Amino acid sequence: MGDLKVVGKRVERVDVRAKVTGGALYAADVQLAGMLYGKIIRCYDYAHARVTSLDLSDAAECKGVIKVLGPKDVTQREYNASVLDMMVSADMRGVLGDIDDQSIFTDHLKHYGDAIAAVIATSEAAAERAAEKIRVTYEELPVYLTAEASKQPDALQFRPEKPGNRAFELPEMAFPGNVYAWGEVEESFSEADFIVEDTFYVSKQKQCQMEPGSYIALYDDQQRLNCWTSTQMPKLVQKKLANLFELPMTRVRINATVIGGGFGARLGMVLEPETCALAMAVPGRPVKLLSPREEDWLTSPSRHPGKYWMKMGFKKDGTPVACDAKFENYKGAYYVDASGTAFTTGAWLGGMYKFDSLRYRGESYYTNQSICGAFRGYGNPQTNFVMEQLVDRGCTQLGIDPIEWRKKWHKTVGDDGWCMGVPYNSCALDECLDRAAEAIGWTEKRAKYQNQTGVKRRGIGVAVMNHTSGAMPMLLEHTVCDVLLHQDATATINLACSDMGQGSHTTLRQVAAEVLDFDYDDVHIATGNTDAAGFDIGAHASRTLYVGGGAVKQACEDVRRQLFDRAALELEEDAANLYMEDKIIHVKGASNKSISVQTLADQGVNNFMNPENGELIGQPGQIQGYASFFPPHNAPPFGATIAEVEVDMETGEVKVLELVNAHDVGKAIHPGVVEGQLDGGAQQGLGMALTEETYFDEKGICLNNSFTDYKMFGPSDMPKMTNILVENPDPTGPFGAKGVGEAGIVPPVGATANAIFNAIGVQILEAPITPEKILKALEEKANVS
Amino acid sequence: MKKHAITLTVNGEERDLIVPSNRTLLDALRDDLGFTDTKYGCGTGECGACTVLVDGTTSINGCLTLAATMDGRSITTAAGLARDGDLHPVQQAFIDNDAIQCGFCTPGMVLKTISILDENPNPSEAEIRQGLEGSICRCTGYTKIVEAVQDASNRLSGLGE
Ligand code: FES
Ligand code: FES
Repeated sequence: MGDLKVVGKRVERVDVRAKVTGGALYAADVQLAGMLYGKIIRCYDYAHARVTSLDLSDAAECKGVIKVLGPKDVTQREYNASVLDMMVSADMRGVLGDIDDQSIFTDHLKHYGDAIAAVIATSEAAAERAAEKIRVTYEELPVYLTAEASKQPDALQFRPEKPGNRAFELPEMAFPGNVYAWGEVEESFSEADFIVEDTFYVSKQKQCQMEPGSYIALYDDQQRLNCWTSTQMPKLVQKKLANLFELPMTRVRINATVIGGGFGARLGMVLEPETCALAMAVPGRPVKLLSPREEDWLTSPSRHPGKYWMKMGFKKDGTPVACDAKFENYKGAYYVDASGTAFTTGAWLGGMYKFDSLRYRGESYYTNQSICGAFRGYGNPQTNFVMEQLVDRGCTQLGIDPIEWRKKWHKTVGDDGWCMGVPYNSCALDECLDRAAEAIGWTEKRAKYQNQTGVKRRGIGVAVMNHTSGAMPMLLEHTVCDVLLHQDATATINLACSDMGQGSHTTLRQVAAEVLDFDYDDVHIATGNTDAAGFDIGAHASRTLYVGGGAVKQACEDVRRQLFDRAALELEEDAANLYMEDKIIHVKGASNKSISVQTLADQGVNNFMNPENGELIGQPGQIQGYASFFPPHNAPPFGATIAEVEVDMETGEVKVLELVNAHDVGKAIHPGVVEGQLDGGAQQGLGMALTEETYFDEKGICLNNSFTDYKMFGPSDMPKMTNILVENPDPTGPFGAKGVGEAGIVPPVGATANAIFNAIGVQILEAPITPEKILKALEEKANVS
Repeated sequence: MKKHAITLTVNGEERDLIVPSNRTLLDALRDDLGFTDTKYGCGTGECGACTVLVDGTTSINGCLTLAATMDGRSITTAAGLARDGDLHPVQQAFIDNDAIQCGFCTPGMVLKTISILDENPNPSEAEIRQGLEGSICRCTGYTKIVEAVQDASNRLSGLGE
């Protein structure tokens, strides 16, 4: 790859000066003249009820109130806040059965905190005071919190199109037998020497991005709908809002503000529809809607919880012959992306090991919980918790070292990846495992922790994962990029990719500078305005560097090609015979023949005629590069985590002592950015394994939709952490890079669970693994033996 | 509700304002005075996004503090740390150690760091982690933030030499 000047360097991130001084504007920080404030009235008495009467009159009389809106006062169109329906063809949409089942306001309330009506007032305080004056009466309906409850034949139906409250199952047309499968599972199991099998529960983890949802909308004098939001997906939200309010895309503009964390919580729309509906009711006035933390919790999607059954068969020598699995998730009140996670949870399973046969069923059931959707990893942490524990149970019974087993049986180059028919084209998982084992002292510790007897027992466990860089070929992958070459030989890169804080604008700028052969400071990434930027799917599926970077690379190569073509004309040489160094284009082997990029760029803009001979001086026309990029692959990253824990056998407390994360990242465009993703992912993965769950009482009232009662790993809880970046360039990634946005959260989940198993000799089947569950499992084990 | 005429010195500038008794310092800073660098993350004292410094180096949660009780006091927010375009050493340490991702926790983290280092100029790693409890970051896993605080401690004690 030659000498890289910018790629691979720890350059200063594009946005950190603004962030460290507080100058970065998040949506809540934007203040417009004449701003009004919205407040949504939600039901906090029931998780399932029908509104029998709604009286808005007292609220409308309150001081400062401009308007009060009930369900009939806003668009009657239904929508789906997620965007999966826009990432597949119309035919596929039909096959998947994605539906629009959300309304701006509703009289059939399906979860704690569902929306009934709204107030628009001159201040937040006035809106809140008026909201208290709204009088509602309800008819209480039965509450279904699990798939097991809502699938009962006598259960009230959430949607007529979805009988049995089954929002989704793998469709027969795309998945014969409603399964994602290869081989003959039953037959393969008959060849197994022994079988491990269990039913697990995976939890309803919340992203807890630090910025709660904040939105502004303005229906302006040009009859354009403007929305300020920190969405991960500006272009898809633009189209979604255009559809919902029946406007052409030219009349919808998203102003993408700085994102205070996403992790999937802002994939698609959250409260953009509500905010825009309020703004449409008061044309010419901007309306701001600020979600308190507790409301943001209930209105943005969580991870999909549910029952996850799995069965694996092995031969005595460890050969994995069969895997059968079923994930029934508790979808929550609305469809959102019921299809997506139900599929990918199995895809990550299928992408990992060389079972002779595999069969996976994924189903989503409506429940009266808050909605589920995208959360970093998109089904992968769930699969990691279950698959990796069962593999370790198998290894223990076989007496095989879990790292050796994984090295022998993980899929690799040439094997089908998570999508059958798309084989892996790079894989450095063996190196990840070897280096992680070496770094933590796997062999010695594994030996040392056998047969412990004390109160505090240590354990060490491993887990691996495969993921993806973009969702091709299941979902549309496409980014448009324009590069404008200024007359001073600097360049502005215009595209719609958002930066959730992970650093993608920085790495995209590095890619641009490297391809253009410019200094990092000579390139600017312009984003945030859907009027100007071409299409982009948005930030999800660890795609922004891989797909957005691919688009930037191609558009910058277009600029280079134009520069070389023009230089060839000026120098009267063949373009193939030219090379560029420090912004000067030279003729190979003729050091005196050259022209600067500055001259070419300037002549393109400031083009004049030679008054003496009437000829143009240089080549006219400002140079612009363009790419409409569809990636050729999905460059799956691989990763391994080894965790070491100490368990107190009397209290059940788990202390995580160390994590070593070794990831096959292709190429670290910015090592600090990659490390940051692994560090942050690990904090969330540990939380999923050990502490994080959204709890509801039997009436469906959420018990911990706040930081007060939802326990995340804090600064002192975090273990010693080592990240190992294995750079094995992917042939299709920009400079060999793979996506790493999600990878970091995944293997800490299974590794932590396996370390606990190693320490105490029992597996905990429910996430999060709390002290109570450990004590209960130890007690059961004692009773059996 | 009773209203109070108060004076706050914010980042060195004196501001007069009238606040109802229940107005939090966070709302007064953000909404009345436009210091939107002070963030709302939870409103319940759990996350530290609203951290500001009182009278130089004491950190408090703006969301738990009533503005009226701060009459006559001096408040520092992240916007008030840079001097003539030069970042405060703690801010520079956060940049140089890649301790900033989404940045939503950053103003509060930087201010918290100043108060930690004021109390204990050479904290151990455990002391840093203890000091940061109550300041939530969901992006970084705290690793690089802890490194930034260590680095800032070195820089500041270097300055004092
Ligand atoms: S907003 Fe004050 S502590 Fe969270
Ligand atoms: S950088 Fe995002 S919360 Fe700390």
